[in-house]
Amino acid sequence: MKKVMQRAATSLLLAALIIAGLSFFVFRLAKNGGDWSSYFSRRAPVGEITDRQGVKLYLSDGNEYSFADDLQTRLSCYQLIGDLNGAVGTAALRNFRSELSNYSFIKGAPVASTLRLTIDTKLQKAAHAALGGRDGSVMLLNYKTGEILCMVSNPTQDPMNLSATPAEGTYLNKCINAVYTPGSVFKLLTLGAAIENIPGITEKTFSCSGMSVVGGAELNCSGTHGNQTLKDALKNSCNVAFSEITLQLGSSKLDEYAKKAGFTVGTKISGIDTKAGSLGNIEPDSIGLAWAGIGQHEDQITPFSMLKYVSAIANDGAAVTAKLKTDENSKAKPEEILKPQTAVLIKEMMQYNVEAAYGTWRFPDIGICAKTGTAETGTGSSHSWFTGFAGSEQYPIAFVVLAENAGAGAGAAAEIASYVLRALVE
Amino acid sequence: MNINELIGISSSFSVYKIISYILPALALWLLARCLRSMLSHKAEPELWGALTDSSGTKYPIKHWDCVIGRAASADIVLPDTSVARTHATLSRTDEGIWRLKNLGPRESTKLNGKVVSEVSEIKSGDKIKINKRVYTFRPLSETGRAKLELKRTPAGFFVSSGLTLMILTLFQGFLVVGLTEKAPNDVSINILLSFSGLIFLEWLFYLLMRLMRRSGFEPEIIAFFLSGLGLFVVASSTPNDLFKALIIIVTGAVGFLFLGWWLRGSDRTTSLRWLAAAVSVAVLVGCALFGTEIYGAKNWFFIGGISVQPSEFVKLAYVYTGAATLDKLFSRRNLITFIAFSAICVISLTLMGDFGTAVIFFGTFLVIAFMRSGSFATVFLAISGAAIASFLVLTIKPYIAKRFATWGNVWSDVWGAGFQQTKAISAVASGGLLGKGPGNGSVKRVFAADTDMVFSMLAEELGLIVAIVAVLAVIALGVFAARNAALGRSTYFAIAGCAAADMMMIQMSLNVFGTLDILPFTGVTFPFVSKGGSSLLACWLLLAFVKATDTRRDASFVVKAPVSPEVFYESTGEAGK
Repeated sequence: MKKVMQRAATSLLLAALIIAGLSFFVFRLAKNGGDWSSYFSRRAPVGEITDRQGVKLYLSDGNEYSFADDLQTRLSCYQLIGDLNGAVGTAALRNFRSELSNYSFIKGAPVASTLRLTIDTKLQKAAHAALGGRDGSVMLLNYKTGEILCMVSNPTQDPMNLSATPAEGTYLNKCINAVYTPGSVFKLLTLGAAIENIPGITEKTFSCSGMSVVGGAELNCSGTHGNQTLKDALKNSCNVAFSEITLQLGSSKLDEYAKKAGFTVGTKISGIDTKAGSLGNIEPDSIGLAWAGIGQHEDQITPFSMLKYVSAIANDGAAVTAKLKTDENSKAKPEEILKPQTAVLIKEMMQYNVEAAYGTWRFPDIGICAKTGTAETGTGSSHSWFTGFAGSEQYPIAFVVLAENAGAGAGAAAEIASYVLRALVE
Repeated sequence: MNINELIGISSSFSVYKIISYILPALALWLLARCLRSMLSHKAEPELWGALTDSSGTKYPIKHWDCVIGRAASADIVLPDTSVARTHATLSRTDEGIWRLKNLGPRESTKLNGKVVSEVSEIKSGDKIKINKRVYTFRPLSETGRAKLELKRTPAGFFVSSGLTLMILTLFQGFLVVGLTEKAPNDVSINILLSFSGLIFLEWLFYLLMRLMRRSGFEPEIIAFFLSGLGLFVVASSTPNDLFKALIIIVTGAVGFLFLGWWLRGSDRTTSLRWLAAAVSVAVLVGCALFGTEIYGAKNWFFIGGISVQPSEFVKLAYVYTGAATLDKLFSRRNLITFIAFSAICVISLTLMGDFGTAVIFFGTFLVIAFMRSGSFATVFLAISGAAIASFLVLTIKPYIAKRFATWGNVWSDVWGAGFQQTKAISAVASGGLLGKGPGNGSVKRVFAADTDMVFSMLAEELGLIVAIVAVLAVIALGVFAARNAALGRSTYFAIAGCAAADMMMIQMSLNVFGTLDILPFTGVTFPFVSKGGSSLLACWLLLAFVKATDTRRDASFVVKAPVSPEVFYESTGEAGK
């Protein structure tokens, strides 16, 4: 008997081996559990994405998935939400996975949760409708809270019915991930820098004869504006005046303000990367610098960086951190881009733009302050820009519209903005 | 689709949330009580008699099977240099007959002056002469035994098995609550009825044991716990089969009682060993030649519309045949016959394509061979033999290797050969510690999730804690058998109990670690839990061998009580403790 009992230890050995094997597995589980649990819902992460009102934009239980119920919403939100192929790099489905389905060793996964975006579906659809078939982008943001209300990019497609040969630029969220020649909207930056760095500039008079010569090269203007105040020079979007201001300001100051405003640095919106713009080669006193100060030359910026700058103007010079998620509490302080008094001055001028040039009647009565841009792309056509904000307490909204190859800013882009702003106040 | 409906967890109040905490807690409590009762029981050896030498020194007889010799490993150690290391064996049958067998040099053992040649019966007062010294044999009388037995601690004295069963009932009750939460009405009724049937069976079993004055109930509770998990698996995956599953559990429990009763008579037990072996060989060879192939393994028979997996029952016969009595332990011929029998089993199973069961048999063979011979050389030889054989098979039939090609890297072929296991592993991970809730899993839709990958179903729906408790419950049976061997009466039951428990542990390892891609995926069942008829029945029957090792006082119905206690109390006037 005694011998047999000693040999019974084989059972203990087996038991020990099994426990060792289990421990090994638990160790691996702790390490890889997140990858394992989400593997089969990798394309369609479990969870729900809604707009700010709770309208479904995306829903998946790991087996079945769906996007917004109505086609226009799906089209307008394609770059925002993305598709199951992950084709849109800046989309919520690529960037907010961890918020949708969390893995924890204790709770397991995927525990689905609802991610509520700051987006307003109504504005998305309005912007998509306003763009019509045009390529371009529309973006709206609450400059007091930083919430992005609208972010639409064209061309687009239906995530439920993906095209095998989508139009060029479909996968690009042009609001944040494409750079364009800004044209005259850039003058707002030059203006801000000038007010803060050239003493007495607000009292100065600028003379325009339709063109000027810088370093032997010609710089033409959109018209012959004669003698004008700074305010009128902005209203007229006078190239001669602003090139003069730029040359006086100098390349390093322009560069400094472009960086400070976020034109030439990439940033993150709720963790999603935005593209950095650039000013190109701007040597002091060169024709290049002169053109750069009026948004031409080699200037390339994202619509979002323009939006951020005008939202700072609207908000006494400080830009609140932009966000896409309603429950996000950014600890970052608003970025002070301009001095408060500078912001007030520019705001007045932008208001004057609307009253004196663009037509107050074209916009809802919420104190629109704006600036147009007609960016020459060098191919004969020009991009139509329109950016600004509502000054009213009720609608602390900044906006930027870019319509590609759509001509003058006061035309297509202003019309699109007008349409979306009407949807906002409806 | 509503997100709250979808996941059930994020809503502020949910039955699942509460159940997900209660179930693991109850499972852990249950396991802790079973372990405490089974393993922390004080080792109180039995006493069956003594040998007394001329000087009056007593050598106690603590088992039914004893080796007499000079070696420290002998059960009755005689400090006499002229005695061989293992000189003789002394064995008792369940009828109380003692037999003596000489193992030492020829004519070196004498009984009442006569040379012991073969096995000789020995009675109280008989004189055993080993070399020059004489020992008087005095077995305890029945009443003396009963008196001693009363001094031992009864099983369940510290850990009441009634309360443990109550916890199990609660556990199964909460399973029902969770399962019926979202099930359609007709399915809910089926779930309710079948679980009620199971709980009724458990309490009936308990009452029956109490009537037999048995209070050690833990191996059965573990079997009922695991069978309940099995019923849960059926309820979640294929609720139409619930009643069938319940009937199999009832049959298993009855079979367990019958086999337990059968094992009470050791002569009866050993007499049928070779018949069992012969039938097993016939069935396995028949199966290999004429069996029906289901999912790549030709190990099924259809009898009157019912599919039977004979290899499951051969497992039983294997343990039954493989264990040896003490007198056979020293016979080389006996071991060789057993090796031949094992070889036939393993080869037939391999030919059928049932590699998993072949490995279980081989593992059990190693355990039995080692317990019988105590020789590492035998084990080493067997492993090398098997390795060479496997190598040859893989060289001749390389397609077999393909079946195991994904082993260790299932994630590199998720949409091909690794699909089942990656789904299972993903499910285990997504269940977390507490699970998604009974009936809430998705892995059950994957092929064989309720059998070969049942661990993943448990982990996904009930959580990793409950799944690990299930594994530990099987291990508990193994450790229990090993511990009991120390207090065992006969080598036969010690070997059979350990072999049966080890067989279950090996089978469980192949199931769990195969699913988790730690061992090759061979497609075997998790004892008691996996859905299935033959395998579940076989597990209940194997449990009878484990139960037979339990020699605690009032523990096992398989072990006869020394004398009817009522009679004893009347004759002595002593009240029970």
